[in-house]
Amino acid sequence: MRFQDAAPDARAIVYAGIQADPLVARAAGLLADATPDQRVLARAAMNGMSTDAAVWRIVFPNLFGPAASAGPERERSESILGASLAVAERGELVRQQVRGAIVEELTERLVRRRAGAGAGAGSAEATGSAPSVRRERRILFDGVRAEFHPYDVTVETPGAAEAIDCKWGARGINADVLHQLDDARTHAADEEERLVVTLVVFDARRSCDVRLARQTAPSEATRVITIETLDDLAR
Amino acid sequence: MEIRAIVSVADAITAASAAYDELAERAEEIEDEWSYVNDLADAWRERLATVADARGDEPAGIGVAEAVAALAAEARAIDDPHRAIDWLSTFPQVLLIAVGERP
Repeated sequence: MRFQDAAPDARAIVYAGIQADPLVARAAGLLADATPDQRVLARAAMNGMSTDAAVWRIVFPNLFGPAASAGPERERSESILGASLAVAERGELVRQQVRGAIVEELTERLVRRRAGAGAGAGSAEATGSAPSVRRERRILFDGVRAEFHPYDVTVETPGAAEAIDCKWGARGINADVLHQLDDARTHAADEEERLVVTLVVFDARRSCDVRLARQTAPSEATRVITIETLDDLAR
Repeated sequence: MEIRAIVSVADAITAASAAYDELAERAEEIEDEWSYVNDLADAWRERLATVADARGDEPAGIGVAEAVAALAAEARAIDDPHRAIDWLSTFPQVLLIAVGERP
């Protein structure tokens, strides 16, 4: 089993521009330290209709109402709302791409918090691309044709390898992604290597369970991280 | 249901349900996802009903009535069925947070 950079095709080149958007790093940085409620705020505002911050402050009374006292949490809620509305104000296609890139960046940042995964500094913003956590990588196995789509995030630490795909919503769970993850796991096992396969979905577990229940592709051995359990990525 | 009529947690969930039903109707326009849309909506309705059964008599918190009204308006403004599918998941999460529940 070995990891390899994905070929820089046209899609990858365009998407690299999205990933490099400062808004992606800003939002992911905020969400990495966010509470579950603040993450749901981001999910709602990024894909909502209104771009009026006052509306969202009403919708989330626990974050912005009288019970939310002034302080760092309230300030973070405001920052997350601001970043989310900046995403929402993009055109529909760009907004979808930016949302996806934010989930990937958030995933990378949380994974880098694992002991030994982030070169000590513990954050993507501090370390750049640490060698053990990478983006847009393929996994090659002897005698197996390489998958067309690279994995969004990989952990390439020997003995703790992991392939991670990221989705904005439960609807993004489909047979292709489940097969690709499970195939990688089984190919690794064939080479007597252990590869953890993980699907990160920025959506509620309940919605993911409904989607997964409709799939016939194997998912039993795939770790599914949802909006409620994102912090598990750091463990 | 008018804002001033939302007094309890059950009132909040009841008031939001009409907008949620309309959201589901919009999402059903994607024919390939019809059964998923209905399974998804049913799963969340079940969760909301559980909360209403358990805590329905409790008073709605400060700002909950206004939150439900604004959330319903947001949902009703969605005219894209693809976004409506996404919001079938988002809407109940936001509502549950407003009434002090974990989604």
